[in-house]
Amino acid sequence: MTLERLKAAVHYTAGCLCQEVAEDKEIEFSKQTIAAISDITFSQCEIFAKDLEMFARHAKRSTINTEDVKLLARRSQSLLKYITQKSEELASSNQKQKEKKKKKNEGESKGRSSEAQVQPMMADSEELDT
Amino acid sequence: LSQMKKEPALPSRLVKQIFAHYAKMSVAKDSFKIVEKCLDVYFKQLSNDLEAFAGHAKRKIVDATDLELLMRRQGLVTNKMPLHVLIERHLPLEYRKLLIPVAMSGNKVIPKK
Repeated sequence: MTLERLKAAVHYTAGCLCQEVAEDKEIEFSKQTIAAISDITFSQCEIFAKDLEMFARHAKRSTINTEDVKLLARRSQSLLKYITQKSEELASSNQKQKEKKKKKNEGESKGRSSEAQVQPMMADSEELDT
Repeated sequence: LSQMKKEPALPSRLVKQIFAHYAKMSVAKDSFKIVEKCLDVYFKQLSNDLEAFAGHAKRKIVDATDLELLMRRQGLVTNKMPLHVLIERHLPLEYRKLLIPVAMSGNKVIPKK
């Protein structure tokens, strides 16, 4: 049942993205096209999940991190560039959040242990039950 | 005295033998040139990938796990087709002995893991 729901979610998002492209390029997508794109996306996600798992295990980790994602996108130059840029943005925003937390914690005097980094990119790839 | 250094490559006879063996039909002579070019590209790609995988595991030396990962990504090694099966199918006995551990008498495992 979860699989159906996941597929539906992917389909909906694919529809939204296709709509954006349609408005941008002034073309129309048939329903079958959107369904096909969402199907392809879903099966590609399975491949990605398995590969990421392999890469993480290869580095003797059980948690997938940005390095694994970069290794996944290594084959295509433009994609790698894009993903590296995105991961740098994420890292810098994480640092800013940390600094903010530090300032807050210093204000509260009772310093709690800093929370583990949550990476939104990884969140959905780990929930895939195959 | 400009001695052109030849790029290292597999001996063309070996390439011809292997290719003809798997093709199971006669192959035109000029097609082997293309096969050799493809091999060249293949090895370049292979070394890049192995470097990336070894670097990913924070090593500077390529080891067997990198190669297995590569073959997994190439789709040669899957859950249904383990690496050992491929080794047994395609490599001669002397190499199989080096790669697949075999229990011998006197509580020995060769090669040592």
